[in-house]
Amino acid sequence: MVARERLTQLKQRFGPAIQRADLPAEDRLFVFVDADAVRDVCRHVFRELDARYVITVGADDRPYSGTYLVAHNFAFDRDHVLVSVLTHVPPEQPALDSISDVVPAANWAEREMRDLVGIEPVGHSYPKRLVLPDAWPEGVHPLRKDFAMNQVPEGLDDTREFAFDEPPPGCTVVPFGPFHPTLDEPAHFRLYLEGERVRGCEYRGFMAHRGIEKLAESVMTYNDIPMLAERICGICGCVHNVAYAQAVESAAALRTPPRAEYIRTILLEIERLHSHLLWTGLACHIVGFDTLFMQCFRIREPVMWIAEKISGNRKTYALCLIGGVRWDITPALKTELLGVVDTLDREWRPVVAAVSRDKNIQKRTRGVGVADKTLVKNAGLVGPVARASGVAIDCRRDHPYAAYDRLQFDVVTADDADVWSRLMVRMHEVFEATRIIRQCLDRMEPGPLQLPIHDELPAGRMGLSSVEAPRGESHHFVITGENNRPRRWRVRAPTYQNLQGIPAMIKDQQLADMTISLGSIDPCFSCTDRLETVDLRTGAARVWTEAELKQLARHTS
Amino acid sequence: MSVLSKLKEALVCLRAGRVTLPYPAQPRPVPPRFRGRPIFDAAKCIGCAGCANNCPAREILVFDVCQEIRILKYLGRRCTYCGRCADVCPEKAITMSHEFENATNQIGDIQQTLELFMSTCQRCGRCFKEPSPLEQLKLKGYRFDDLAHDRWVFRSQAYLTRETAADDVNIDLD
Repeated sequence: MVARERLTQLKQRFGPAIQRADLPAEDRLFVFVDADAVRDVCRHVFRELDARYVITVGADDRPYSGTYLVAHNFAFDRDHVLVSVLTHVPPEQPALDSISDVVPAANWAEREMRDLVGIEPVGHSYPKRLVLPDAWPEGVHPLRKDFAMNQVPEGLDDTREFAFDEPPPGCTVVPFGPFHPTLDEPAHFRLYLEGERVRGCEYRGFMAHRGIEKLAESVMTYNDIPMLAERICGICGCVHNVAYAQAVESAAALRTPPRAEYIRTILLEIERLHSHLLWTGLACHIVGFDTLFMQCFRIREPVMWIAEKISGNRKTYALCLIGGVRWDITPALKTELLGVVDTLDREWRPVVAAVSRDKNIQKRTRGVGVADKTLVKNAGLVGPVARASGVAIDCRRDHPYAAYDRLQFDVVTADDADVWSRLMVRMHEVFEATRIIRQCLDRMEPGPLQLPIHDELPAGRMGLSSVEAPRGESHHFVITGENNRPRRWRVRAPTYQNLQGIPAMIKDQQLADMTISLGSIDPCFSCTDRLETVDLRTGAARVWTEAELKQLARHTS
Repeated sequence: MSVLSKLKEALVCLRAGRVTLPYPAQPRPVPPRFRGRPIFDAAKCIGCAGCANNCPAREILVFDVCQEIRILKYLGRRCTYCGRCADVCPEKAITMSHEFENATNQIGDIQQTLELFMSTCQRCGRCFKEPSPLEQLKLKGYRFDDLAHDRWVFRSQAYLTRETAADDVNIDLD
């Protein structure tokens, strides 16, 4: 059992600093460490044991254990283990050594923890506000349990402006976003240009605050949250839906029936199909090749229709409840789905053949947006971006969930680490997805769809779940709680990590390559911005007075 | 070869032919499982409020005018059409219809209000037997929603003594 081995290694190395550990399953490890040792333990896990950084979660645990709780989550991809390094932080002085100097990928997560839970990452190199709106007062932390779901903090100052960093000398500043033709969602990049070359940038995001995690922790119940989780993303909603359900199931040690696992797998792969086809279309659109954009969307449409037939909706499948799924795949639907994937394979092959040789696309994408292996490791890049850099990580194989442990498929990789490689990886993953769907339909046996649940879920258990979304690993962390709802639910969408790689990927490139470089990570800003709190008042629409905007916001909500 | 690939791409387009559907002149029929606007059947409804307690968007309100009359109001504003209400309804009084062209200036076009004559158990006040503990509403108190302002309200002893209605949250009390 590898998780136990890893624990023994950590115990030998750090001895008494390891307070206790939980091994709830073969593939999960929770280690509680002393607050002063957390940086060393994380360095050891990240550098010497070569784990991949996943996310840092801060939680207000004061009503239960009297302390704050910080979890640094890592993944041992080759060993199929997810590890959480946990620390209790005393409530009087919520501060913890920052790990972002040894684990650069933790940069955003620690800033987010500082904003939302108010745990100070001591020694963080760039502790600028990340998530909260500019108007938000200092020292108010919305994810604390004593902050009510619908509370408006005192001292909200609408006139406060975002403090931009000083650009490097000799550079012109060009704003990119928050509204831009190739950005479907709001994000602002402040590019520093020297001529046409990008020398650096500052990212300002988190503009689509929706308070999803707070809402879930305060008013919704276990079986309501899947429908909310699904709305984190408009493209990979089912991924979040499944990942949340799995995280709760893993916390409460529930085992879903096999047929439900197969159905989850099928719907996840249907989602991957439509997402990859959509992305290929959009990538072509960004480089000005609209013909293929149209064709990709045409080929994609039957996938949407079959999803609608199975689940009742094109995109929001409302698939999972805790312990099962809601929609069955009848023999008639099975035949139809087989027909759809066969047609898709047949139509997709000539497109791949044509694009693989297209010189125009190659000229726009080769050698552009390069993310080498060091960057992948340090920024914690995931999904097709990592795989296009020759790093073969795929949660479906590395941390198998649903029915993936019973299926054969290849992890598609490429070596050039540029946008072209990402395009090729995604185009070929479509064939793997159809292969998986066929296997699932073939092996699925009749059986129940839902695990009967007779007892309340135990409180205070922790669950981790990683699901391979079309754009990379979606990671959900849940602490179960009372009142039929979780105490803490943290979502890490793949774009959260991939966006952090963007400044390095666009550095010293032409300005014109910025859009396709950004597009190549398949960014999903609403996934990333899923957090915190109601505020339409800052920023963008300056022609509105505050009062008018408030009026508008209330009228339409 | 770039020219060859361009020809191949042209072929992909030509083979496809015309694919645009004549919507809205002729809407495409929706599949049987399609989840459109939920329709509430007052004749079948027993007023158990299972739908109200399991609605993720909190779009269904319950208000007891008196011992015998219960009002159930579907708001239709931020309904996500997930179909959970239809799932949990013990009497199959809710159907997910095939209506999807629901855009309107008058929210009342979508809303439904049911006035129900109740003869429920006087002790528990509700007869909905939740199939699993996950479908219960774990709050101290009972639903007493604010129909005038479309809000969920919990009334409870806890409210009267200024405690929070649940352990971890201040519910929106009137």
